[in-house]
Amino acid sequence: MIRLEGVSKVFKGDVVALKNASAEIQRGEFVFLVGPSGSGKSTFIRLLNREEVADEGRITVAGKDVGEMSSWRVPYLRRQIGYIFQDYKLLPKKTVYENVAFGLEVIGRPRQVIRTQVPAILELVGLSRKADRLPDELSGGEQQRVSIARAFVNRPLILLADEPTGNLDPATSVGIMRLLDRINRSGTTVVMATHDRSIVDTMRRRVIELDRGVIRRDESQGVYE
Amino acid sequence: MLSRLWYYVRETFVSLWRNLSLTVAAILTVAISLSLVGASLLIREGADRATAQFQEGVEFIVFMRADASADQDGAIRDVLDNSPAILGYSYVDKAAAYAEFQELFSDKPELVESVTAEVMPPSYRIVPANPDAGNVAEMARQFGEQPGVKEVATATDAIRQIEDFSNRVSQALLVAAVVLVGVSALLILNTVFTAIGARRQEIEVMKLVGATNWFIRIPFMLEGTIHGLIGAALAVPALFVVDDRVLAYFQESDAVPLFRGFAVPEGFVWDTSIWLLVIGGVVGMIGSAVAVTRYMDV
Repeated sequence: MIRLEGVSKVFKGDVVALKNASAEIQRGEFVFLVGPSGSGKSTFIRLLNREEVADEGRITVAGKDVGEMSSWRVPYLRRQIGYIFQDYKLLPKKTVYENVAFGLEVIGRPRQVIRTQVPAILELVGLSRKADRLPDELSGGEQQRVSIARAFVNRPLILLADEPTGNLDPATSVGIMRLLDRINRSGTTVVMATHDRSIVDTMRRRVIELDRGVIRRDESQGVYE
Repeated sequence: MLSRLWYYVRETFVSLWRNLSLTVAAILTVAISLSLVGASLLIREGADRATAQFQEGVEFIVFMRADASADQDGAIRDVLDNSPAILGYSYVDKAAAYAEFQELFSDKPELVESVTAEVMPPSYRIVPANPDAGNVAEMARQFGEQPGVKEVATATDAIRQIEDFSNRVSQALLVAAVVLVGVSALLILNTVFTAIGARRQEIEVMKLVGATNWFIRIPFMLEGTIHGLIGAALAVPALFVVDDRVLAYFQESDAVPLFRGFAVPEGFVWDTSIWLLVIGGVVGMIGSAVAVTRYMDV
């Protein structure tokens, strides 16, 4: 599903974000990216989504060479990739329902599809009763659920998560991880960058550890350290 | 497809409304600059028409008094027929003068009704053998002294006055208009830029979930195009005011007889209006296209 071959990325000022990184992630896998701040986790994720382009090496996502892809194809790549963030990136003036619907509306899905898909996904993340609330009326955990609903409503092949529990307390984090686990079990590949030791240690999934842009460790049922 | 169209329309109008003060400024600037463009075009056309009777080598026109006697008329015609200094001439009798008057002022029936063929001055449009300005002036002076002649209009005098007038005015207007059209484009660019800034978060999310670049751009480009079109639509009535008040003022002026021909048909005003709408739309589209390509790295 995802393959990196000798990928390097250097930012301005010789900041090495990724150095000769190679990895292969199969369909349906759940992968944690761990490592200290600045170790290249975010860059790893952003390269998969073509938010960044690698300086060297080759990245293949869902059978497509991401680096060689012409820019007009990028939106179609992103329709197969859900993306969630530490800060949720919800639109503050839209309700929960509208935020999720927005993700479908702007890729031109017919209204009929939106009317059936949005309630279904809100049911999945457990927010059916809060569909008419605005984001600032929700708790952090609820906001992250909305963001997951928006990322998953189009049933992407891959879900990328950059520190999704970074702003949440441990109890709420567990709830979010249960949801991501459930999504993963439905066949979606999940790649999650995190600092959260207890989550990684509890889930016992594949762990890729980065250190100053280099892949230090890649274990199939790893722990944080 | 229909829902997408609805999305574009809704997003465009929401954005127009959110940005109201800048939107109004942009629209008014477009309206003023296009009014000037239109006025300039009308004055140019008016001048062309006013000097139309001096085409095909006609250098001066002898207007006879409406009540000139047949003898007086015959004397003039005698000179014209026999003088080697005259290459040719055409006679415009009362009926023909009236017909021409009717045509020139076809959009002002009250003016046409106020005169009859009987009061129209018949005239000779004269092509001299030597079109040199000094020679024409001398011949005009001689004809002017003949009994029965009301006045002599020379091409050199009259055309120079009209051309000078219309060139100065229409060029000044055009320069101002070009500057203002540029200002409008910049203002539209800024308005659209502000609209993009106000929706930065939305655009970020749109890109992340895989909206195409054109899907993101179209509402902003529509917004700029609408600024241009509304501005142009406001300039259209201004054009009719120019036609009705300014050109009409010259037609009624006694200072220069030829200004009486300073009129443009209504069809020309409508044609110009369509051009203004096209210019407005294009300026808006260009301004917003620059804004979306420069400030929205999608």
